[in-house]
Amino acid sequence: MRKGLMYFDIIVIGMGLSGLMAAKTAVESGMKVLIVGKGMGTLCLFSNTIDLLGTIPLSMEVEKGLYKWIIIHPEHPYSKVGLENIKKSFLEFNSIFSSHYSFKNENERNCLIPTPVGTLRPTYMIPNTMVPWNHQEEKRVILGFKGFKDFYADWIARRLNSRSITLSIPDLIRNEVTQIHLSRCFEKRLFRERIINEIKKHLQGEKFLGFPAILGIEDPYSVKSDLEQSLEAKIFEIPVLPPSIPGLRIFNRFKEWLIAKGATFLMGYQVTKAILKGKRCEGIEVSNAPITNLYCADRYILATGRFIGGGLKATSNSSLFETIFNLPVTKPKNQNEWFRKNFFDDHMIHEMGILTNKSFQPISNEGDIVLENIWVCGTILSGHKYLYEKSKEGIEISTGYMAVKSALEK
Amino acid sequence: MKIKTEVLIIGGGATGTGIARDLSLRGIPTILIEKGDLLSGASGRNHGLLHSGARYALTDPEAAKECIIENGILKKIAPHCIEDTGGLFVGLPEDGSKLKDQFIKACKKAEIPTQIISRDEALFLEPNLNPNITFCIKVPDGAIDPFELVFDNKRDAEIHGGTFFLHTEATQIIVEKNKVKRVLAKDLTNEDHYDIAASFVINATGAWVNHLLRYVGLKLPMALSKGSLLLTNKRLNQMVINRLRPPSDGDIIVPNKTVSILGTTSLRSEEPNDFDVNPNEVSLLIEEGAKLIPSVKSTRFIRAYAGVRPLFMSEKKVDDREISRGFVLIDHERDGINNLITITGGKLITYRLMAEKTADLICQKMGINKTCSTHLKPLPGVNRKKDLKDRLKSLDTSLSKKRTEILCDCELVEREEFEEVFKNENLKDPLDILHRIRLAKGTCQGGFCLYRLLGVLIELNKEIEEPVNILKNLLEERWKGIRPILWGTSLQEEELLEGIYKGIFNLSSPSSLPMEDI
Repeated sequence: MRKGLMYFDIIVIGMGLSGLMAAKTAVESGMKVLIVGKGMGTLCLFSNTIDLLGTIPLSMEVEKGLYKWIIIHPEHPYSKVGLENIKKSFLEFNSIFSSHYSFKNENERNCLIPTPVGTLRPTYMIPNTMVPWNHQEEKRVILGFKGFKDFYADWIARRLNSRSITLSIPDLIRNEVTQIHLSRCFEKRLFRERIINEIKKHLQGEKFLGFPAILGIEDPYSVKSDLEQSLEAKIFEIPVLPPSIPGLRIFNRFKEWLIAKGATFLMGYQVTKAILKGKRCEGIEVSNAPITNLYCADRYILATGRFIGGGLKATSNSSLFETIFNLPVTKPKNQNEWFRKNFFDDHMIHEMGILTNKSFQPISNEGDIVLENIWVCGTILSGHKYLYEKSKEGIEISTGYMAVKSALEK
Repeated sequence: MKIKTEVLIIGGGATGTGIARDLSLRGIPTILIEKGDLLSGASGRNHGLLHSGARYALTDPEAAKECIIENGILKKIAPHCIEDTGGLFVGLPEDGSKLKDQFIKACKKAEIPTQIISRDEALFLEPNLNPNITFCIKVPDGAIDPFELVFDNKRDAEIHGGTFFLHTEATQIIVEKNKVKRVLAKDLTNEDHYDIAASFVINATGAWVNHLLRYVGLKLPMALSKGSLLLTNKRLNQMVINRLRPPSDGDIIVPNKTVSILGTTSLRSEEPNDFDVNPNEVSLLIEEGAKLIPSVKSTRFIRAYAGVRPLFMSEKKVDDREISRGFVLIDHERDGINNLITITGGKLITYRLMAEKTADLICQKMGINKTCSTHLKPLPGVNRKKDLKDRLKSLDTSLSKKRTEILCDCELVEREEFEEVFKNENLKDPLDILHRIRLAKGTCQGGFCLYRLLGVLIELNKEIEEPVNILKNLLEERWKGIRPILWGTSLQEEELLEGIYKGIFNLSSPSSLPMEDI
């Protein structure tokens, strides 16, 4: 059982950002790693940029804000990771991106980026296809495309004091186009040339052009540079509705890196069962119909996300559970209390999650370790409200990193 | 603005709109005012059942008879609003079968055709039905789309000279010498004031009858009863399925286009605007619904909603002109106001009959002899494409022509259709378009397309007020229906939508905007 193809040092369950980060950390520590997941998690839905803690005022250095946050919120995942390790995990994250597509922050502070409804949103690191919003900038144009129903240039421009242009897309078979389709079009030089000609007709000397974030999947920086040269203007991307092309770029980069470094990458596979013996997990059953395989490891990382990812599930009789190991979930209350009266209120359900000790091992309400060789990371953890804190990617990166570091200490 | 008309109708539900059509067809000038959009009350908040009358056969034979007659008429004049599904009354073991024979006899007396079918046959027709049913009786129930029905009534009324003022609320009724002289009203969208002089005034405000009557110091003995309903994500049944037992909560499942509707509860209410569905009602509807169709337990719900039924309490004989226990028509001549009439109670299915009786009374009081024709003339729109299947077909055949993008992926609503309705309807409130097309009626309940709706509205009409606020209000409105049913797949989708609106769009309440609170 302990040797052979089906045996690994670490198995990571889940392929969102926390799982990918965990797998990367394990591979770099020389481990034999299996990462298995149903899909790409919420990475390819929401992760246009890297949030750390969006509630830190723009004027304050993020490190200082985090330091204060950790003191006030001892149960928050950030407090368990610790400031130094958060910084290390971000360095690790950045290390796999090349100069062609990389992330940066604005003077170690949060910055604002425009949203698809013309509001601004604070975030920490942005890819080099985006720019922080600068209120002083003048003469901006927002570009939209007819038939691309998830982006309305008029709407954004109206709120952000810019001009808008909505272009027809040449040679479209149907009058409807998606994020993925547009991204692939933009990767083609020929398509870009035609779009560039169209844009030139409409420009009135503007030097800043905002595009929806669809400037190619593989090499967006080159697409951007090409557009900038031809149009003699600065180009920036604005996030759109899911799927998130910037999120997909992150996923692709991790996948490429992990496979190159020898990790086993099982995508589209579901973990159907955990084999438990006492306080240990002995193996997991992984199913890709009609075949079910048993994989074993010394250590398991649970990075299955919340409801969308399938890590947590809720049923009509007010029960809330973790789907693979049935780990204890904090404070499951009556369904009526999960949500507040208004949609835009902070809902109680977002605070629920897996309770862990400082090493990210799952514990019971009494504080006892439930399973000794499981470590938990990502948004499934309790003690945070990532939507309101704007801390999603930061929690995923830092806990993905830290869960593996803790696991390797044992 | 001063306006003169023959008949002023207050209330734009099925009844008021039906009266406008009836009178217009008789050549009598009408104006209808409604404080919201059409169908804001019970007309737009029910299970869309085309009653056969069988439900009332035992308890209210007169109402049952009215239902089956109107059922036949509506199938002729409004076939495009109806799906003639047929219905079943089934017996469950715990209810016994003593009602069965009485029921069939009562139906026969009301001239409602029934047919006893075997359990196997019932399960063949409805494979999801509880296999433990003890008997099954087929009746001519069906499904009806109240929105199409009422909007077509309005269209026909307008063709024949009727006028509608939506978002216009009556603010005062001025009575002089036993007559309503004028009704003052206000346009809620632009604060325009109207001073309307009419020979007759009809109060067709449904659950709001007493709100209006208090302007003239009158009050009717009304009981308001809130009924809650649940919408499933997919259609579980092909026919209307009723449980045969004395009237109780949760004993009907109506198929409607792509969904099924579980009904209903009944809670006394003081407020005609009481549309909150409480969690007990949700679990009760699921428990009871699962006794008819067991898979209700595992099905996904997309929305819970409630309507308030206006019930006329008729323990004392109020008026000899009272027509039936189903609905009530009151000539306030008895109260000393000679030209005011109230019509209330009743059912969606009897809206036309209620309109006919009201118009008859008006004609009688006017001393003219003009007869009703609403039961003979089909509504405009009989040739309109009908359901999702037809829409799918038309999309398929339009492959060769350039079509516009689909704004609502759940219900296949094209941008072209949206723009057409927007341009033709001249809506005071652009959001009323949501009552006129299928957009936002599907699985995600507008989660994606409400954003697109506003995006397109901005492109069409740059003057529209702050779209972010409108979007937030629409999402809050949507939330009311979603909140009671959030578990399983619905909860996953909700996480996605919160991720979009609170995450990507950063629209969270001010309390969690960039902060000073760390």
